[in-house]
Amino acid sequence: MFKLERRVYPSRKTSGLVIFLSFLLAFFVTGLIFYFLGVNVVQFYLIIGNVFITPVLFLQAVFRSIPIILSSLGLVVAFRMGFWNIGAEGQIYLGMVAATGIVILHVFYDAIPISLMLIAMGVASFLAGGAWCLIAASLKAKLGVNEVLTTLMLNYIAILFVDYLVYGPWRDPEGWGFALSIPFPDYATLTFGGHPSVAGITISVAVAALVYVLFKYTKLGFVLSVLGKSSEVAKYAGMSVGRATLLGSLISGGIAGLGGFYVVSGMIGRLRPRASPGYGYTAIIVAMLAQLNPWLILPAGIFFGGLLTAGDALQSLLRLPASTITVFQSVIFLCIVLAEFFMRYKVVLKR
Amino acid sequence: MSIEWIEPVLASTTSIGVVYLLGSLGEIYAERSGILNLGLEGIMAIGAAISFIITIAWGHALAFLVAGIFGILMGLLLAFFAVSLRLNQITVGLAITMLGLGLSGFITFPTTRKIILQTLNPELPGAVLETQSVSMLPSVPIPLLKEIPIVGPMFFNHNVVVYITLILAPLMWFLLFRTSAGLKIRSVGENPGMADALGINVFRIRYLTCILSGMFSALAGAYFMLGFQPFWIEGMTGGRGFITLSLIILSTWSPLRAIFGSLLFGGIEVLQYRLQLFGLGATSPQFVLMLPYAIAVITLSLLSVESFRKRISAPAALAKPYYREE
Repeated sequence: MFKLERRVYPSRKTSGLVIFLSFLLAFFVTGLIFYFLGVNVVQFYLIIGNVFITPVLFLQAVFRSIPIILSSLGLVVAFRMGFWNIGAEGQIYLGMVAATGIVILHVFYDAIPISLMLIAMGVASFLAGGAWCLIAASLKAKLGVNEVLTTLMLNYIAILFVDYLVYGPWRDPEGWGFALSIPFPDYATLTFGGHPSVAGITISVAVAALVYVLFKYTKLGFVLSVLGKSSEVAKYAGMSVGRATLLGSLISGGIAGLGGFYVVSGMIGRLRPRASPGYGYTAIIVAMLAQLNPWLILPAGIFFGGLLTAGDALQSLLRLPASTITVFQSVIFLCIVLAEFFMRYKVVLKR
Repeated sequence: MSIEWIEPVLASTTSIGVVYLLGSLGEIYAERSGILNLGLEGIMAIGAAISFIITIAWGHALAFLVAGIFGILMGLLLAFFAVSLRLNQITVGLAITMLGLGLSGFITFPTTRKIILQTLNPELPGAVLETQSVSMLPSVPIPLLKEIPIVGPMFFNHNVVVYITLILAPLMWFLLFRTSAGLKIRSVGENPGMADALGINVFRIRYLTCILSGMFSALAGAYFMLGFQPFWIEGMTGGRGFITLSLIILSTWSPLRAIFGSLLFGGIEVLQYRLQLFGLGATSPQFVLMLPYAIAVITLSLLSVESFRKRISAPAALAKPYYREE
C-alpha cells in the first residue's frame, strides 16, 4: 500500500521537479480531454510549439505576455506577504483609467508637458492600481475583512467603471459613437525600442529586478516575507504589521496598474471596454508556476502569452474556438495546484 | 404610475432573482461547512452550455438532469482537491471557474456543437444544428392565485423551476437550522476539530456540501438558459456566479434571507434595463450594475465590525482546509 509522509520543508530542487512534472501532466491531461472531444491533438500541440520557434510569432507572444508578466510580478509581492490578492484584473483596469486620464488631461486641458507624459502616465497608473488594492488591504488591516472576496468583487466594479467612462464622459467625440476613448498621441505610446514588445520587456525586466531587490536586500521585503510566513511572529517581533500590509499591497496593486498602462499605451493605443481578456487571472497561474520567483515570472509569462498567440492560429487552422486555450490554461492551473500536494507530502511504498 | 408598469417589472424581478437564489442554495451549505466554492461562476456557465445543447438534442427535462450531473462532477472535483488533498480552496475554485468557462465556450462553438449534437441525436434536422436559441420553459400559471394584484404576477405566473426553488429555499433553511443534520453541517464549518472529536465525519459532510454546491450552481445555469435568456452567447453568465457569492454574504449565509436578497439583486438588474428604456440613467447604468458587488464589500466590512460580529459572522472555518492530527 501507499502511505503519505509529510515533508518538513520541501527543498528547492524537489519543488522545482514537482512543478515541472505537474506542468507536463497538464499537457497529457489536456491532450486526453481534447482527444475525447475529437480534436487532432498532435496538430494542436504543433501549432502551440510553432509559436515559440517562429520569430514573428514569438515576438507576438512576448507582446501579449507583458500585462500578464507585470501583474504577476505584483502578485509575487502580495502572495509572498500572505495577502491573497485576486484583484490583479481590477488593478489592471484602474491602471488603464489613470493612464488614459493623463492623456485626456493633456489633450483637453494642456496640463502636462509632452516630455513628462510617459512618466506621468506610469506614476498615475501605479498609484491608481495601488489605491485599488489598498481598499481591500486597509479593510483587512483595520477590520480583518477577508481580502479574497473583496479583491474579487472590486474587479467587477473596476470593469464596470471603465465601461462607464468609455460609454459616457470619456467617449471620443469624433469616434462615430463607438465606445472608445480618444486615440493616444504618439508621444503617449510605449514604442521605444522600435517595437512595443521591446519597450514592454524592458519595463518587465526592470520591475522583476526591483521585486528581486525588494525581497533580497530591503527591510520592507524582509518584514513582508516574515508576514507571509506568520503574522503572529511578525507581531511578536515588534514589526508594524498594518503598515507593511498597506505598503506591500500598494506595491502589488501598483505593479498590476503598470500592466494596465501597457495595455492602453503599448497594445491598444486607447481605452476601450473589456480591454483585458483576463490577464489578471492568468497572472495568478503564472505566479504559482514560477513559484513566486520574479525572474522565473518572465519565461512563465511568455509561455502564457504564447498560448494566447497560438489561440489565433487554432481558430484559423483547426477551426477551434478561443476557449480551447482557456481549457488548457485551467488544466495547467489545476495541475500546479495539485503540485502543492506533492510538495507537502511524499508518497512512499509501504510493505 | 399605473400598476400595468409595475407588474411585469416584479415578474421579471422574480425570474432573474431565482437564478441567484437557486445558485446560492447549495453554496450556502458549502460555506456553512467551511468550503468556499469560487468555481460557482464556471459551473454555472457549464450548466447553461450543457442545458442549451441537451435541450436541442433531447428536450427540457433531460437538460436539467444532465446539467445537474455535470454540476455534481465539478463538485466532486472541488471536493477531491479541497477536502481529500486539503489544497487551497481559492486557487482550486478559480481554476474550476476557468475550466467551466473554457469548456462551455468549447462545446457550444458552432463546429464542435454540430458534432456533439449529431452524436447525441442523429435524427436532428440540419437547421437545428445551427440554431443559437432554444424554446423556453413553459410557464404554468397557478389558477386563482395568479389573479391577485402584484403578488400574483410576481410569484404565481412562472415556470416550474421558479416554484420549486421558492419552496426549496425555506425547506433548506429548516434543514440547516432546525435539524441535527443541519447542526452537524454548521459545526463542521465553525470548528471542524471539535466536530471530528464528537464523532462527526468532517470529510463526508464536506464532500456532500461540495456536491450540493456544484449541482445547484449548474442547475442555476440551466435555469438561466431555459427560464430567462433562451439563446446562447459565449460568457452569458457574465459574473452572475460571483453575484451569487455576494448574495450569500448579504443574506449572511441563510437560505431564508437569500430569498429577499435575490429579489433585491433581481430588482436591481431589472431596474437597470427599465432605466435605460426610459432614458433615465441611460448614460450610467454601470453604477446600478455595480451595486451587487459594492453591497458585498460593504456587508463584509460591516460583518467584521466588533458589535456585529458578536451576533452574525461568516463561518469561522470558511476556506480553511481541515487536517486531522495524524
